Amino acid sequence: MDIQSYISSGKLELFLLGELTEREREEVLSLAKIYPEIQRELDELEETMFAFDTMSGVAPSQEVKDKIFATLENDFILKEAPKPTAVPADAKVVPISSPWKPFAIAASIAAIVASGAAFYYADKYQERNDQFTALLQDQSVMADNLNQVKQEYQEKDSQLDKMIAGDFKRVEMRGEGFEMQKDAKVDVFWDQNAQEVFIAVNTLNELSDEFDYQLWAIGDGGPVGIGLVNSGEKLTLQQMEAVAQAGAFAITIEPKGGSEAPTLEKLVVLGEVT
Amino acid sequence: MQEEQLIAGLRAKDRKTTEYLYDKYSRALYAVISRIVFDKDIAEEVFHDSFVKITRKIDHYEESKGRLYTWMANICRNSAIDKLRSKEISQSGKTNTIDDFVYGMESQSGTQEHIDGIGVRELMIDLNDDQKFIVEYIYFKGYTHSEVSEEFEIPLGTVKSRVRAAIQVLKKNVARI
Repeated sequence: MDIQSYISSGKLELFLLGELTEREREEVLSLAKIYPEIQRELDELEETMFAFDTMSGVAPSQEVKDKIFATLENDFILKEAPKPTAVPADAKVVPISSPWKPFAIAASIAAIVASGAAFYYADKYQERNDQFTALLQDQSVMADNLNQVKQEYQEKDSQLDKMIAGDFKRVEMRGEGFEMQKDAKVDVFWDQNAQEVFIAVNTLNELSDEFDYQLWAIGDGGPVGIGLVNSGEKLTLQQMEAVAQAGAFAITIEPKGGSEAPTLEKLVVLGEVT
Repeated sequence: MQEEQLIAGLRAKDRKTTEYLYDKYSRALYAVISRIVFDKDIAEEVFHDSFVKITRKIDHYEESKGRLYTWMANICRNSAIDKLRSKEISQSGKTNTIDDFVYGMESQSGTQEHIDGIGVRELMIDLNDDQKFIVEYIYFKGYTHSEVSEEFEIPLGTVKSRVRAAIQVLKKNVARI
């Protein structure tokens, strides 16, 4: 994702001015969590707005300050002196006369039902809240995934451009003539002018961790290693190193990381350039 | 005081913390209101109500939804816009412009305000006409960006990028002064 153009779109400013819809606000907040640049920009913009507001204004009058604190006085007092009112020792307990009893019982039942409902809904609320948080997390994971998909797409797109624009020759490499994997099949696409090489694995067995498949371009100067082949990525284009001249391509199994020279006993596929 | 401490203190209805909040933010928050609501008495009334609302609604403030100042400034801005559009203020054709604001501050008694009024002019330096227009409508007249777009037939994207450009200039000016 292009963070710089997101930042310069003006959306963050509108976020701070409180002008975005709930959905857009969520988007800004979850992106800010993923990208520290966005969070930083938000913080800086808020600082700027605060500084601008402070510098461009005048202090409200002392009267309004006094009035505000007079209004808030009760809020403070409630918290500062939470003394329970004690029942005087000589308070008379008035017995509940019998006609009121059914009402008192009904009221108690109502109170119990109401508090039960309150707990139930509080619980429901918590549950929804958790679900919401989980959704937000899912969303940021999806944003990440989308990013990755986008990058992959761009990569494939540029590969496709090359394939279409270039002059690629297809060299089919087969395993039929060799002992290793009779049904192995890998195609090489080679643009001799641009010297670019791609391969696409069709059939190739998985290797254990100690080994790699290595691609060789066999030219007048002998075989040259031009990269390791990912056998797990079937039927997608893998770009290999550049080759100017070759009469054939081949793949061998080599110790992990590849070798300087091919291990001919472990030749898997070979294809001649026609 | 750290923002977390400040919020915790406000939630505990602590008097000292509330005083700290007032000392640190009253000027900025009052500015948000008074540039939209021109009349000093009404602006102070809106400020009184907004500040009381902030301290009483602090439990509704969610740290994950943005910083404290943004939340408070939005409460003040919205109250000011509500007041401006309510019938209490007669729309006697008086337009809020930056110049009116500066003039209003300069004409108030006392030298402190006079100096502050010049500050506004300085803060506006280097804004081009488009940016000045945006600042005037959004900051001083309480328009939303979509209202500016509709009323003056400026594409929404253009309004957004002008808002950004204008605030970038203000940022530079704030840092300079």
